[in-house]
Amino acid sequence: MNALNRKKEETFKPLGSKSLLSRMAKYRFLYLILAPALILVLVFCYLPMFGLVIAFQDYDIIGGITASEFVGFDNFVKIFTMPKFTKAIINTVKYSSVQLFLGLPFPIMLALLFNELRMIRFKRIVQTISYLPYFLSWISVVGMFSAFFALDGTYNTFMATIVGESYEAKNILTDAENFLGILFWTNIWKNIGWNSIIFLAAITGIDPTLYEAAMVDGCNRFKQVLYITIPCLLPTIAIIFIMNTASLVTLNFEQVFGFQNIYIQEETEVINTLVYRQGILNAEYSLSTAFGMFQGAVSFALVCITNFIVKRVSGVGIW
Amino acid sequence: MKKSFGEKLFDVFLIVFMVLMCVIMIYPYLNQLAISLNDGTDTMLGGITVFPRKWTWSNYDTIFSNESLIRSTVVTVITVICSTILTLIVCVGAAYAIKKKDLPFRNAIIWILLLPSYISAGVIPTFILFRYLHLMNNILVYILPSAFTFYNVIIIRTFLSSLPVALEEAAYIEGANEMQILYKVILPLCKPVLATVALWTMVASWNDWTTTLYYVNEPSLFKLQYIIQQIIKQSEVVQKMVNDSALTGGSTSVRARPTSESVKAAAIIFSTLPIICTYPFLQKYFVKGVAIGAVKD
Repeated sequence: MNALNRKKEETFKPLGSKSLLSRMAKYRFLYLILAPALILVLVFCYLPMFGLVIAFQDYDIIGGITASEFVGFDNFVKIFTMPKFTKAIINTVKYSSVQLFLGLPFPIMLALLFNELRMIRFKRIVQTISYLPYFLSWISVVGMFSAFFALDGTYNTFMATIVGESYEAKNILTDAENFLGILFWTNIWKNIGWNSIIFLAAITGIDPTLYEAAMVDGCNRFKQVLYITIPCLLPTIAIIFIMNTASLVTLNFEQVFGFQNIYIQEETEVINTLVYRQGILNAEYSLSTAFGMFQGAVSFALVCITNFIVKRVSGVGIW
Repeated sequence: MKKSFGEKLFDVFLIVFMVLMCVIMIYPYLNQLAISLNDGTDTMLGGITVFPRKWTWSNYDTIFSNESLIRSTVVTVITVICSTILTLIVCVGAAYAIKKKDLPFRNAIIWILLLPSYISAGVIPTFILFRYLHLMNNILVYILPSAFTFYNVIIIRTFLSSLPVALEEAAYIEGANEMQILYKVILPLCKPVLATVALWTMVASWNDWTTTLYYVNEPSLFKLQYIIQQIIKQSEVVQKMVNDSALTGGSTSVRARPTSESVKAAAIIFSTLPIICTYPFLQKYFVKGVAIGAVKD
């Protein structure tokens, strides 16, 4: 038995290593077509990671990374002590947590309602229209809404007809108090239709015999939704929620930057926009890199933690 | 089964809700369309909803006589075409390669490709790298960094795995090599998924303006959406456009005078028109992408 095993090893080991090379040679065409993707990822995703070292440096613009002086965690200390940065962190968490927690039910509800629509043609038209805003760039959406809320725009005209003569026209986009609401509702407006697709697909995948059984048991449409559709949707909801938790510290730059204007910019600064203004406009590279690094680390940690918790509770996870 | 009163009421409510939602979804767009076709000074009086009061093309004359807008459109079209082609080459290659289960180092390669979806170096290190690579103020900055997207690879790979293995085996027995199998057998079958990825890339590239904001300050390389951003952010830019157009006689009618608000509307309509016009016909391809991506692993 032992001898047999040894013999096997002897014959297989050299063959194994040889076959690796020969297998690689056999697949050389595959490596060739894989190469562009690998090169692009290494250059544009991994190479910049070495640049993160400047978060611990006082970056010298002329000398570059090698000539810069190491300052340890000074930049990170600055971030948490300078009011400008702490305000940006607070704003980011405030804006995005509202979007994450209060925004999640909207596309789910829309998907449930779509599912109840029985007229196929009408349903298709409504769906097409609801997906449409998703394909517009944030900046044109900003343009549309700034015209909508302008002093001579629809909003003020509409309010004037409702309230009457006493109504004083004002542009609500220039008041920082409204910024959260603007971000929330424009986000819903732009993405609700599109985000409903994934839930609708999950609903379509539910076994129809479940509904038949429920109908026999005397469940009406409302109860079917409550006891079958929603429980069957929970895994999908969990996955979407996990994937969205990363956004707790990352707001959509295009949206926030677009809706900011000179009246409210300082009040509504978030991490992304501050990194852009401090880093690219004011050339404070080290400070902004540290800020961006903090953001990236937190969002990665959030995904891991949420994934862990959700997996514990419901058994569904992204890895 | 006879519907109860409550269910009938719900059906009515549902239809009313859906119609209302559609109105909310398209109103801002129709409003812009009306403003862009309305006389600028008249718009300032307010009350424009979805119909123009005083018809005029002068707002469009203004934007079409603007050189930077036309140039940025050309730049955008070029980058859209190039990045679509490059994305397809890069992502199809990667997807086809990682589909082979016994490819040596397959798992390591997948991890290398996947990881950047979760962690990234951030804006500033990328910015510094691009300066080293001379990608600043270079049209390649629009094309190269965005060419690889893991999600696209997943979509293509999922589609590839749904093709019968027998096809490849048959071609192999016939004496075709890997390259011939890919180009003659696999790719012709992949048209739907290639269309999906191509359309996504086109929309993303057409709508992209932050790349310009971060890495380009050479006006001849601005993208269309960046010009829109400038117009929205700086009304003085618009005022200049209006004045220039008046000097060069771009505005045909003397009475109809464009204002910043109406020119802005015209520019937004112009920049979104290709998407609005083609989207309803291509919608199924877009939705297909989500459906395929949803079942990943």
